[in-house]
Amino acid sequence: MVAAVLADGLHKTYQVPVRGAGIQAALKSLVHRETEAVQAVKNVNLEIAEGEVVGFLGPNGAGKTTTIKMLTGLLHPTTGIAQVFGYQPAKREHQFLMQITLVMGQRNQLLWDIPVIDSFDRNRVIYKVSKTDYEKTLDELVALLDLDSLLHKPVRNLSLGERMKCEIAVALLHRPRMLFLDEPTIGLDVTMQRKLREFITQYNQQTGATVLLTSHYMADVQALCKRVIVIHHGSILFDGYLDHLVQRFTAHKTISIKLSDPLVDLSGYGELITRSEEQAAFRIPNREAANFTSRLLRDLDIVDLTVEDPPIEEIIESVFNQSA
Amino acid sequence: MIEFFRLANVFLRIGAMNEMAYRANFWIQTFESLLSMATALATIAIVFNQTDSLGGWQRAELISLLGVYFLVLGTINLVVSPSLGRFMEEVVDGRLDFTLTKPADAQLLVSISEFRIWKILDVILGLIVLSMGLLTKAEATSFASALVFGITLLAAGAIVYSFWIILATLAFWFIRIENITMIFWSMYTAGRWPVTIYPPWLKWILTLLVPVAFAVTVPAQALSGRLTFNTLMSAVLLAVALVFISRWFWKLGVKSYSGASA
Repeated sequence: MVAAVLADGLHKTYQVPVRGAGIQAALKSLVHRETEAVQAVKNVNLEIAEGEVVGFLGPNGAGKTTTIKMLTGLLHPTTGIAQVFGYQPAKREHQFLMQITLVMGQRNQLLWDIPVIDSFDRNRVIYKVSKTDYEKTLDELVALLDLDSLLHKPVRNLSLGERMKCEIAVALLHRPRMLFLDEPTIGLDVTMQRKLREFITQYNQQTGATVLLTSHYMADVQALCKRVIVIHHGSILFDGYLDHLVQRFTAHKTISIKLSDPLVDLSGYGELITRSEEQAAFRIPNREAANFTSRLLRDLDIVDLTVEDPPIEEIIESVFNQSA
Repeated sequence: MIEFFRLANVFLRIGAMNEMAYRANFWIQTFESLLSMATALATIAIVFNQTDSLGGWQRAELISLLGVYFLVLGTINLVVSPSLGRFMEEVVDGRLDFTLTKPADAQLLVSISEFRIWKILDVILGLIVLSMGLLTKAEATSFASALVFGITLLAAGAIVYSFWIILATLAFWFIRIENITMIFWSMYTAGRWPVTIYPPWLKWILTLLVPVAFAVTVPAQALSGRLTFNTLMSAVLLAVALVFISRWFWKLGVKSYSGASA
């Protein structure tokens, strides 16, 4: 079977103009522009199977968008191979473009001054979707995303969240098999973020479409993606299950307890992070966690006990720090 | 070609809806079109109060030329200028990414992406004035002249469009170049008069650098039967060459496009 997405030794180097400060440098750059090579993506290898939902993580400027642009055919790789369903994206073949879609949280393709439904119609014509297929898909999207009241309003009258729902819908009218979602939840409130996440999950389950998603919100990634790819300074640092990321990059667990006796002495057990009267939390190395827990339960009168990994944000941050 | 009409149809409809939303524009446009046409006609009237011919052109012929001028102007303002203007904006803000990921010819999509339908008034006025010029002329226009006129008008359309595409394509490299279309507009105004009446240096600029001569003067010459075979052939050859060159240039531009940084 052909992988949905394949990248092999992908590199992208940009020539960026550089100029010094001040008017003299500005005048000089009018005539002679100096440029500098910036490696945005270095030797990226990845393979995504059809139907997978993969989270693509990295700080700003890590190379996420550059990689997505190479996979959607907007950028030509400097070297290396990019393939989507066996097509070379940069060739921008008709059959390839019919099967993908691109959603960018910071930009919209809906036309500003006219009702949403007319922008939908424009995409229907561009993608040559038949009327019957169009109506069927539209009905489904309207039901899933709750668009009923929005379709006949001009886009400029919609809230950010409403607009994003419509942006996602317009991008799916041709039933793409591959979704590139670049920060689709950016700027949305928590409820709307959750709704979009639920929608993406449902869409993936119903259609078997492959999804590559970038987001700065870990909640998106935790809810949607079993697998994550972490990219930093243009290179892939981690590619695997989210659980494994947690195991690999966290050496500690947080063990919290609730005691029946508020006066009990907890010194000598391990690194104590917080202590109130009945509550306490320890930071314990992973491999000692089991022994530590049984020791606590044996020695003390414990009402409640939880073992947790640190928040995913902290883990990701530690990944980036380790590579810096 | 079918693709063109299919897409043009939907964009035209959307353009119409867009403009209907702002009704006042229709009246402003009507006023503007009538006023500029009246001014132009009055200027011709003043000139011909002093003389019977201007560089060999009769009054009726100049009126036809003015008709062609408005016809071409209206067509540019109807779709070419708004669409390519929008394209240049999309290069700056990165929305072009959406256009380039669509399964349709990108050059076609950007060329017809926006219609200012009220500009059709200039086209209609141009046609009326053109017919007026032809009707008041001493001798009737022959079928052959009309046919040649049709050919030169098609060539004019192709030349002007290709010229605009080449200017707009520069946005792929220089990003902010909204002002570049001024190169065209500053020269186009000179097209109200036949380029043959201008001093040689200006005539060359209007023929070779900015193709105003081929856009307006040549079709008008065809109507008055003063077009030489050589000029006709150069108009057709230039049109064909520019269509291919602009297409090649556009593809080069798309290749080097890197997208606005996210």
